[in-house]
Amino acid sequence: MKKQYYLFFIASLLFVLTGCYDRIELEQQAYVIAIGIDLTDKEEEKGVFKFTYQIANPEVGTTASGGGADEPARETVTLKGSDLMSATTTANAFVSKELKLDHTKVIVISEEFARTGEFLRVLQTAGRTTQLRGGVQILVSKENAKDFLNNNKPIMEKRPHKYYQLMLNRATEVGIIPDANIHRFFQITEGDADLYLAPYATTEIEEPKEYEGEENFIAGNVPQEGGSQSQFMGSAVFKEGQMIDILNGAETRVAATLDNTVELTSVFSTYQDPIKPEYQIAGSFIKKQNTSVEIDYKKNGTTTIDVKVPFQMEIFAIPSLVNYSQNMKNQDLLKKSIEEQLTSFAEDLIKKSQEEYGSDPFYWSLYVRDHFKTIKEYEDADWNKKIFPNADINITYELERLEFGKMINDTNLNEVRD
Amino acid sequence: MFPLFKKSENKENKQQTNVDKVSIYKDIKKNEQYTKQLFSSDINKDFTFRTVTAKYCDKQVDMFFYSSIVNNEKIYKGIVRPLLEADGKTITDVITIESLTEIKDFDTVVNQINSGKAVIFIDDEDTAYSVNVADFQARTVQKPENERVVRGPKEAFTEGLGTNVSLIRKRFHNRNLIAETALVGERSQLEVSLMYVNDLVDKDILKNVKDRLENLSVDNISNVELLEQYLEERPYSLFPTILYTERPDYAAQFIEDGYIVLLMDNSSAALILPATFWSFFHSPEDRYSRFLFGNFTRILRMTAFAITILSSATYIAITNFHSEMIPPDLLLAITNSRERIPLPLFIEVIIMEIAFELIREAGIRVPNPLGPTIGIVGALILGQAAVEAGIISPIIVIVAALSGLTSFAISNTSLNTAVRISRFLFIFSASFFGMFSLVGALFLWVIYMASIKSFGVPYFSPLSPSFKSSGDMYFRNIIKHEMWRPGQIKPNNLQKKNIPNKGDSKP
Repeated sequence: MKKQYYLFFIASLLFVLTGCYDRIELEQQAYVIAIGIDLTDKEEEKGVFKFTYQIANPEVGTTASGGGADEPARETVTLKGSDLMSATTTANAFVSKELKLDHTKVIVISEEFARTGEFLRVLQTAGRTTQLRGGVQILVSKENAKDFLNNNKPIMEKRPHKYYQLMLNRATEVGIIPDANIHRFFQITEGDADLYLAPYATTEIEEPKEYEGEENFIAGNVPQEGGSQSQFMGSAVFKEGQMIDILNGAETRVAATLDNTVELTSVFSTYQDPIKPEYQIAGSFIKKQNTSVEIDYKKNGTTTIDVKVPFQMEIFAIPSLVNYSQNMKNQDLLKKSIEEQLTSFAEDLIKKSQEEYGSDPFYWSLYVRDHFKTIKEYEDADWNKKIFPNADINITYELERLEFGKMINDTNLNEVRD
Repeated sequence: MFPLFKKSENKENKQQTNVDKVSIYKDIKKNEQYTKQLFSSDINKDFTFRTVTAKYCDKQVDMFFYSSIVNNEKIYKGIVRPLLEADGKTITDVITIESLTEIKDFDTVVNQINSGKAVIFIDDEDTAYSVNVADFQARTVQKPENERVVRGPKEAFTEGLGTNVSLIRKRFHNRNLIAETALVGERSQLEVSLMYVNDLVDKDILKNVKDRLENLSVDNISNVELLEQYLEERPYSLFPTILYTERPDYAAQFIEDGYIVLLMDNSSAALILPATFWSFFHSPEDRYSRFLFGNFTRILRMTAFAITILSSATYIAITNFHSEMIPPDLLLAITNSRERIPLPLFIEVIIMEIAFELIREAGIRVPNPLGPTIGIVGALILGQAAVEAGIISPIIVIVAALSGLTSFAISNTSLNTAVRISRFLFIFSASFFGMFSLVGALFLWVIYMASIKSFGVPYFSPLSPSFKSSGDMYFRNIIKHEMWRPGQIKPNNLQKKNIPNKGDSKP
């Protein structure tokens, strides 16, 4: 009996003596919400990058008791280093708390850096450390990431994590920027087929472009008055981990409609009125079913890819006042016109990706994989170089249902102005 | 580690009370003298002695009793007047009061007088008689204080054994309902009443209980609260193994299922055994409420159970070890509230938990007129003021209040204390390695619970090990559909008499 007591006592000592190994109080940590990665100014510094950490200030924006109302909502620090993690300890030279990347929402990389292709090296850390989550979004900024993070001063959402969370979620939902997290980056890049799209953003607003439709913009040239200085629009195209081009908002959205791996809810957009072409018709593009992608792979001939995009449309503005809702002839005309407009737009993008990029941003390589028995066979067939660029692609948009909102008739102009 | 806590079997032989019994003398003077000497009548003021001359036989009759525990009117009408006035051949013809017992020795005389009877000696007879005129002071039947229900009977046990037995008999009219008596205590022998249904109860369990009652060698056990501690197998254990209830209706429910109920004088409660985890977890109202609401309260209680044992511990584990698990909004809010707090989070939680326990303890012990102030002062000082002074962060107040409040949902007082102590165990374990050690402690806790047995019945049965039963565990069935008695206590008749009519109940 006595022996048991001793054993029990010693065993419980084990717990007490080793206890609290990992323990850290919340207020001893600084939560990095956004990370920026840039090239250094000096060319000879290879393998050295400029890291910018944007840290949330917990004291701002909470209703819980405590002061700190006049403190800024964020602290942004920039320093040189060779990798994401070790730079956090260097940052402790001027940040008082331990930097934690657990709650990071976004990694911003400058366009300049993205085009060098070095990004892949830096991001390798994410696969090893437990801190950086797979769901962290990758953002490409037109200017230096450091400037982007410093200039990005949202007006309504003072707390940075809220801003990135809401901004990226909403912009992704409507399709003007792609959903681009670290996990997907590695998936596509290591799959060695397809293109990876990352949101494109900037705080440097240039001369606005001429108005060409609702979303034919890229970040920086969206005509904007008032509001926050930063714009998220369009996407950076990555091929094999290296940025090669920029797609505008409309193209990004089309890419999303063709890609079954991304979620697209409802997209408000305008189409040309088929009867009075000077007017536009506005409607909501609703995709409820998956795009069907059928690939007829021929080893030595031309592969054909048949793509069918079923969608629904809810019209909510017909400024031309043409009766589309009850006149079946007009309705057919409208239906055909919308399908044609979408198809031609998609064809342009596909042509661009076949000829310029030599790969697709739609993740279509998924559908060709089941034609091969081994990975080696698939790799030898080479989607990027052989199959996709030479493929014969037929794309059709199918309008399954057309709705006209809650009111069927528009104002009769003749009756109003008699 | 657990056998450590198991009480080693009491192998001690029962003390033999083979003291030579002194039998009643024929000479009444001798009897009188001896009895007076036994009860130290010269200093024992309420020990009363009376002598009358009986009319029926014209002999001297002596009467001994404690005046404080007998009904004087009964003595006068039932004994004294008949002796003085009535005619008859023997004393049984004269004294017609309900119980008249013959006594041959002085041990019994002592017992009888102690339990409120009057003992009569008749001249020239070596037999004494005891007449039941006991009238112990007790409360009337009142409402239960600790196990309240909204729907359901509102009678509680009271401190009289007779009343308690009657309260149970009132609820279960059956000739097989036995109220067997055992005596416990060496110095002060008190009655323990075992109530059970003879053709349902498992004879092994009954024998086990009786043996344990007989093997108790103790001076005095004055009520069931103490008896529980003498009977239980593991006195060091965190978990109770005997169900304690102050509701006669709840006890009657268990008797019907084949359980054994122990009652005593001086306790306004009954012990029910064997008990499983479920019997502690349930409340009588679960059955009195209709099916859906009864189960709704079960869900509430399960949630409360989980919250009360784990909320503080989880909070410590997550904030101290796994800050990545907290959504950023909450994380920043907690961090902000902790910025100016001087104490580690663990200490904060411990302070608040102890404060809550203090309020509860003070609430019970405080004299009645002060009662309401304790609540207000406790809530104000410990909550508001501590937060404002910057000693406690406001979120801790929420966490501690939540875990304290939910603990009241476990209505059974025995399980309630077990749960409250476990909470502290979990808080400590969470502070070692976070979630890892918390889950480890939870595992050990459940394993330990599963290993307990109450009078041979596993603690989690009929869930694990599985037995045929009415299925009344997490949720209860529709009462009409309860076909089986709890199989874990091996009732002699497993099937209940209500066979549900198919299609009888519609959703």
